[in-house]
Amino acid sequence: MNQPTTLIHLQPGTAGSIYAIHKMNPILRRRLYDLGVHEGSIVSMKQRGPFGGPVTLECNGQLVGIRLKEAKEIEVSVC
Amino acid sequence: MSSFALVGNPNTGKTSLFNTLTTSYEYVGNWAGVTVEKKVGDLKNGGGQLVDLPGIYSLHPLSRDESVAAQYLMEESPSALINIVDASQLERNLALSIQLLEYGRPIMLGLNMMDVAESRGIHVDPLKLEELLGVPVIPLVARTGKGSSQILSMLKEAPTAAMPEFKLDYGTAESAIAEIEALLAPIPGLPQHRWVALQLLAQNPVILQALESTLNMNAVKEIVMRGETELQQAGHKTSLADWIRTVRNGYIDKLCTAAMDRSSQKPHNLTERLDAILTHRIFGIPIFLLFLFMLFKVTFDWIGNPLSDVLDGFISGPISSGINNALDMAGASAFTHALIVDGIVAGVGGVLVFIPQIFILFLIISFIEDSGYMARVSLLMDSLMEAVGLNGKAFIPFIIGFGCNVPAVMSARSIEQPKDRLLTTLLIPLMSCSARLPVYALFAGVFFQSHQALVVLSMYVLGIAMALLLCKVFSAYLLKNEASVFIVELPPYRLPQGRSLMRGTWEKGKGFLRKAGTLILGGSVLIWLLSYSGPGGFGVDMDNSFLAKIGGLMAPLLAPLGFGTWQSGSSLLTGFLAKEIVVSTMNIIYHVPNMEGLQGQIALSFTPLQAFSFMAFVLLYTPCLATVGVIRKESSSWRWTAFSIGYAVVLAYLISLIIYQGGRLLGWS
Repeated sequence: MNQPTTLIHLQPGTAGSIYAIHKMNPILRRRLYDLGVHEGSIVSMKQRGPFGGPVTLECNGQLVGIRLKEAKEIEVSVC
Repeated sequence: MSSFALVGNPNTGKTSLFNTLTTSYEYVGNWAGVTVEKKVGDLKNGGGQLVDLPGIYSLHPLSRDESVAAQYLMEESPSALINIVDASQLERNLALSIQLLEYGRPIMLGLNMMDVAESRGIHVDPLKLEELLGVPVIPLVARTGKGSSQILSMLKEAPTAAMPEFKLDYGTAESAIAEIEALLAPIPGLPQHRWVALQLLAQNPVILQALESTLNMNAVKEIVMRGETELQQAGHKTSLADWIRTVRNGYIDKLCTAAMDRSSQKPHNLTERLDAILTHRIFGIPIFLLFLFMLFKVTFDWIGNPLSDVLDGFISGPISSGINNALDMAGASAFTHALIVDGIVAGVGGVLVFIPQIFILFLIISFIEDSGYMARVSLLMDSLMEAVGLNGKAFIPFIIGFGCNVPAVMSARSIEQPKDRLLTTLLIPLMSCSARLPVYALFAGVFFQSHQALVVLSMYVLGIAMALLLCKVFSAYLLKNEASVFIVELPPYRLPQGRSLMRGTWEKGKGFLRKAGTLILGGSVLIWLLSYSGPGGFGVDMDNSFLAKIGGLMAPLLAPLGFGTWQSGSSLLTGFLAKEIVVSTMNIIYHVPNMEGLQGQIALSFTPLQAFSFMAFVLLYTPCLATVGVIRKESSSWRWTAFSIGYAVVLAYLISLIIYQGGRLLGWS
């Protein structure tokens, strides 16, 4: 297993397994959980948004957009 | 009578199925949060009622639309549940299914989007799922109606079907569940006690609130504390709520391994390729703006106006002369004649000629909704919205507001944070709705013939710009809150079906026609009567009518804005009922048989600068009566409702003042 890194440092198109989700608004954390994004799930980076805007990630075939600053709080290990 | 409820994750096709199963039609779209309140319809085979609930991921709500489902399950006792499950997203959908199976009423699983799942190489085995869960599982393609007849026939037997025997073993938590069940035993009228106990342990706020007065909450707290200590002792460092989730997830994993094969799963090729362009970090926003510009080009220059001219010719030609002839033949009095021709035909007909523009606008909005582009727009707009204190999701109600502000205010319910929701609600009236379109079309047609689409677009841009500006001001001074959050699901793109586009357009446009037949008709009669009568009696000269007197009171106030005439004053006053009435009133006042005549009159009464100032004023000056009603309902506050009118009037006055006085300084007229 490779060294942990944050979601946004993943190369677009590569996947990683979520290792920890740090500081995050509880509503957002719950919503991510609902969508299957939680510790242990496999996510991949799809696209960076406009002007430091939201990033698109994929988890279980579901595309989700979240803000860059929150994506930075998601720690993954590249698989 | 039997009643059945449709429950499932957002954007899984519940409403599509609802429309196939019942005799009614509700609004469908391709983003999460289309349905924000429960809708009731009669089943086609007369077997009872079907309730369409807003989409939820879990019975534990985060936003206001989501609490509807938990509340429904707590308060009503449906004969059976239909749980719609997206086969291409089985895992996250099953998280809700587990909670519904525990509810203890007969239930069937509608396995929807089988076609989507297959095309992505995900194979779900309905028989295996049925065997493991012990409840009927029916494969569906709700968009085409495939599988719906099977559901309909199964619903007939559902009320007498056996209760599901679904029971998950929560291990260490079982003793806490049993203790809470014992507390619930004496309370009448509750759903299955095990389900209530589990929801209580998961801290579901809706269930907690419902039992607040009947249940000893301190006892519950003690049980939770004891349960959590037991968990710690067993070596699990989690809360009971997390533990319950973990047990469920473990079960779902096993289910999916047994009933689903995703070994040949393919990525969303088309969606990803489209997203690479449409949400491109540099080109995404310009493409969206270009798209908006095309929207106005099509609505006005290319298709809408030519069709509108044809319709105008028809109304002012054959229809008017037909009515005239009929009235003459019937020997109608001069009064009746004037009422019908100068009042109703002028007032209602003057608005009806804009049907083409309005329906084309609705068609394009339906296309955005059905295709999946809506969610992408919120993604593109998030940075901008965050800068002014909101989040990208608020842009969805804004776009709906271009059609009509009333459903837009309702759609704000799916925004998670209460402050963001209120802020969005207050700003929606600045979105230029289709009712304002006739006013622009009329004035732009007279004064800005060669740049119609551009001038109309400028009104929409002015509305959005003002919304963003005020959003910044309101969020800084009035509604301070924690930082907004943003998360949006991006559904796969799909090509909207012609049938559903037509239906969506018609459903939105119907409201416009209904309004023409009620409010605008009534308003026109009233306005004509006021213009026909005055202190001097009936049949007075228009300038001495009550209408002129009332509008005259406003005129001095409006003079600095460039339209200080009683005609403008009374049009604006009556326009509060519905903004189309501004045009109806002008038609009646200027007493003309068709659009061309009205345009001629208006060209005499306004200069281009005054016209532009007037258009901006109509855009901003107040939400219409129906919007005020829905703002009151959604905000449950008269104070905020009054505020939404008050700030709009002040803003409209300031902006028109700047436009007119500024324009004069620059030497325009």
